[in-house]
Amino acid sequence: MNDNSGILRTVDLTVGFTGRQQVPVYSNIDIEAGKGEIIATLGQNGIGKSTLLRTIARLQKPVKGEIFLKGVDLNKYARLELAKIIGFVSTEIVQVHNMTIYDLVGLGRFPHTNWLGNITTNDKLLIQESIHLVGLDYLCHKNINEVSDGERQRAMIARTLAQDTEIIILDEPTAFLDLPNKYEIVHLLSELSRIKKKTVIFSTHDLTIAMQEADKIWLMSQDGIITGAPEDLVLNKSFSPIFENTKLQFDEQKGEIRIDRKTGRKIHLTGSGVTGLWTQRALERHGYELTSEDDCDTMVRIEIKDGIPIWIFEKKGEIIEFNSIYKLSLRLKQY
Amino acid sequence: MINQSVDQLSRIGYNGKKRYILIFSGLAVLVIFLFLLDLFLGSVKISFADILRSLFTDNGNPEYNTIVVKFRLPRTITAILAGFALSVSGLQMQTVFRNPLAGPFVLGISAGASLGVAILVMGVSTSVVFSGIYGLGNWAIALAACIGSGIILFMVLAVSIRVRDIMTILILGILFGSATSALVSILQYFSSESMLKAFMVWTMGSLGSVSVSQLHILVISTIIGILICFGLIKTLNLMLIGENYARSLGLNIKLSRSLVFISTSLLAGTVTAFCGPIAFIGIAVPHITRMIFRTSDHRILVPGTMFTGAIVLLVSDMISQLPGYDITLPINSVTALLGIPIVIVIVIRSKKISSFV
Repeated sequence: MNDNSGILRTVDLTVGFTGRQQVPVYSNIDIEAGKGEIIATLGQNGIGKSTLLRTIARLQKPVKGEIFLKGVDLNKYARLELAKIIGFVSTEIVQVHNMTIYDLVGLGRFPHTNWLGNITTNDKLLIQESIHLVGLDYLCHKNINEVSDGERQRAMIARTLAQDTEIIILDEPTAFLDLPNKYEIVHLLSELSRIKKKTVIFSTHDLTIAMQEADKIWLMSQDGIITGAPEDLVLNKSFSPIFENTKLQFDEQKGEIRIDRKTGRKIHLTGSGVTGLWTQRALERHGYELTSEDDCDTMVRIEIKDGIPIWIFEKKGEIIEFNSIYKLSLRLKQY
Repeated sequence: MINQSVDQLSRIGYNGKKRYILIFSGLAVLVIFLFLLDLFLGSVKISFADILRSLFTDNGNPEYNTIVVKFRLPRTITAILAGFALSVSGLQMQTVFRNPLAGPFVLGISAGASLGVAILVMGVSTSVVFSGIYGLGNWAIALAACIGSGIILFMVLAVSIRVRDIMTILILGILFGSATSALVSILQYFSSESMLKAFMVWTMGSLGSVSVSQLHILVISTIIGILICFGLIKTLNLMLIGENYARSLGLNIKLSRSLVFISTSLLAGTVTAFCGPIAFIGIAVPHITRMIFRTSDHRILVPGTMFTGAIVLLVSDMISQLPGYDITLPINSVTALLGIPIVIVIVIRSKKISSFV
């Protein structure tokens, strides 16, 4: 078995609710996760991302099919044995009064310690290393109720590091974070997968972040699960069906989602560099399609005067100068 | 950088340990002091020297010996045991329900225990004189109370698995409690006057009515209950962060919960059986303990609540005896009057009640 062989594999898996009635949520899942890979699970709300992640973490039973962890049926593992291989971070916000980040991370040692939960020097070093890896050294004796959402999420990740598992599964780890924190958390996860050779599986709604950091994407679409490197999915146009029947478009050039505004208005833009790029975006936002035809009756020209850009707007003989994109867009709105 | 932070960590850890040792020593001294003071106070004036003589030697005044050894000592020991038992059961319930207002009284566990006792006292033995109940054995009363509290606890738990909302569970607990009280009222309606009085006296709660043979049972069940709780320390710590995380860390939730409930009904049930329903100790003491130690670690909190609970109940007992007067107030009223202000403070202070535990 080489390093890249699947540490986790599902065969014809159906996930769903297995209470009094069996309600399948998502079927025909045949996926594989390799060692040291970071995998983003994408899909619209309610399609079953959480259900899938919870099922492969054995927090709920599959409706049908099998899951193999290191080649062995997932159900064969004893509770504590499994807790040494898979760590889990849910969307649930943990709020405990008087619990420090150090205490919280220390709970990750649960499967490894004796009945009293006493921690040895080795455990302590691991807890400290975990806190250090997520960059919370300076906060380690702060109560988890007194830190920000991003810091608490880091602490939850540190807890799974202290748990010392080969796989970390995270259900929407960036759901309630601000933008810098979203990027930082996912980047931290990708660093961990690289440095500590951990398999990280997370779900997210943020396509852009997933595109930038994930080794592999599990795309849960209406027609079945599609897996592959983010770039593979772009090239075989797997993302496009998601945006069918919506006003959104997947921009294959940039790997971004764009809102498709069809107004039929055309504009000719003269200008280059960063200023040109952002002017273009503003024009697109206002529903203008860029055209290279010189005979277009609406034109914007960017000129640099004394190092300051000036936008010159021409329409039907009317010529107006603007000193900001905002003022230009106010004028554009009038049409 | 990492060395520096490791240094910092160990230094803080050391200071924390020193602080805990200091607080524990203080609490231990206080328990011993209050224990002796409680023995000293009473309607008959006995000097401190005489009390020590009666306790530790055979040559004291025989009258004093009887008062101290037969009456005051069992009462004081009962106060300490009830303090241990009610507080530890309250702590466990607050952790399992992740709810600052959980406690044997609020969740209807005490009501369940009283239903058990009521059925035994007034239902089963309507034809027997009340004193004859003791013929059934103290074990029967303890068992009835434990079964009663266990059933209510099980019902609250069954609901708490389906309903996530903390407030709903609390309200249901209160409703279960009310339903049990209604059943008790029906039993009261159909029972004889003497039994009614016996039951009413029981509901007021008393630390002094515990006989020496009952005390044995109280000691045994408290020790078993607390031993189970000590065995669950690591589990309780994990339960603080919720069921999902606890399971993902390899905890057997069903087994752990069952053990907590066995421990809780054993502790709260037996105390309620012999001393009557003693209110608010179970809710208030764990909070006082958390305020003192400022930690969520049950390795500290379990012994901490034991000490604090013993102190609070010893003080309540002394207040209930109204030093200088011949009458004794029902202990239930005293603990309620002491505990309710604390619970009010908790409710007002915690903006987010759910995050308080």
